[in-house]
Amino acid sequence: MQMEKRAIPDDLFYDSNDFWIKVAKEAVIGLTDYGQSNIGDIIYLEFVPAGTVVRQGGRCGSIESGKWVGSLLAPVSGVIVETNREAEADPHQVNADPFGRGWLYRMETANRNEIALLMDSGAYKTWIEERIRLKEKDDVTL
Amino acid sequence: MDLYHLGPVGWIESQSIYHALALLGLEGLVICYPTTPYICLGLHDDLDYEIDQSYCREHGIPLLRRETGGGVVYLDDRQLFFQLVLRRDNPLLPLRRHRFYEKFLQPAISVYRNLGIAAELRAPADITAGGKKYSGNGSGEIGRCAAYVGNILLDFDFVTMSRALKVPDETYRRHLYRIMRANIITLADCLEYPVEYSTLAANLIAGFEGQLGDLSPRDPDAELLETARRVGERLTSREWLNLPGRRPAGRKVKIAEGLYLLAQQTAEQGYNTVLVRDGIAAEITAGNDAMEPALPVRA
Repeated sequence: MQMEKRAIPDDLFYDSNDFWIKVAKEAVIGLTDYGQSNIGDIIYLEFVPAGTVVRQGGRCGSIESGKWVGSLLAPVSGVIVETNREAEADPHQVNADPFGRGWLYRMETANRNEIALLMDSGAYKTWIEERIRLKEKDDVTL
Repeated sequence: MDLYHLGPVGWIESQSIYHALALLGLEGLVICYPTTPYICLGLHDDLDYEIDQSYCREHGIPLLRRETGGGVVYLDDRQLFFQLVLRRDNPLLPLRRHRFYEKFLQPAISVYRNLGIAAELRAPADITAGGKKYSGNGSGEIGRCAAYVGNILLDFDFVTMSRALKVPDETYRRHLYRIMRANIITLADCLEYPVEYSTLAANLIAGFEGQLGDLSPRDPDAELLETARRVGERLTSREWLNLPGRRPAGRKVKIAEGLYLLAQQTAEQGYNTVLVRDGIAAEITAGNDAMEPALPVRA
């Protein structure tokens, strides 16, 4: 059994769909290290256009890996102001550097109260551990 | 779980029923085959990059874009489809995507093994034996569900598949046909006797029952059929088909996991046909190479 350690930076907030959000003047959103490891090698990313208004949990793009496609879901409501064109051109950046070059998009948030309902790093770690305990006693350590 | 053993269905229904199940949040296993041929694009395929639309129009081959992953496939009545829809909160679903296939392709692998074929999974989603691809598969999130779709090739029309894809020229097309023929294999190729659809379907259902528990046969109800009708209209609409998708630089066709045929530009404004196997150029041929035999004429 291969044991892998996954990063969970302390200065970010997290949602239950494995997206992180860095709160600043404009929020930056990405896929967590644990999230990208579950998805596997990412081969395609597609975003809604900048300027699109999305609700919390709403679809703001799609992602494909190994013949699986899923949705990019917004952790909070707001307006997409920029998408990561470099990650779109080279989606493997999301696997290689999910908290750095592999960020997904920037957003002007609409409701700061939603951020308060997200998980901090400790809560996200606990949530992942519980999910693993329930579904798979496998190869991830945190 | 519900079993929709539908047998022959219209080409749109062969995709729209499982989409409708997923959109309604209903779990189920669909076993079917389309009565007429069509081309099916993956969610992120680019129609203009992938398909020779003139050829498809002239030969009456309709197009549909599914909401699951993977690439362009030619589908017809010599392929048995299995389509599993599970709610995303179903505890049977592994967290890691590659484990979906390890788990849910086991019934299909068992079907091949029962026929004496040493089938195995080539990650993430091909079923292979002896280095050749027997089956390609895809999956995706649709609504609140996840759908896993695959097929068993009783036979395959390599000629039409080669002709329906948009390629740089006829030399590339002949290479494409040859490479597909050498690396994809069907039951008709490897068995000395014909296998009945009903036998394959029964074995497949038995395999899924081993994983999912008892399956309850049922027919689509009015709500499912109406949802499928509306989904089918969307999946075949011009607007949906024309959605932009991936367009690699130069023509690139995926034949099987780890196997690609590329048209690589040269300094002389021409191109080389490059067969890439597991990241290594296994075969390079000048684009104007006339040594390849012509494509066989479709019977």
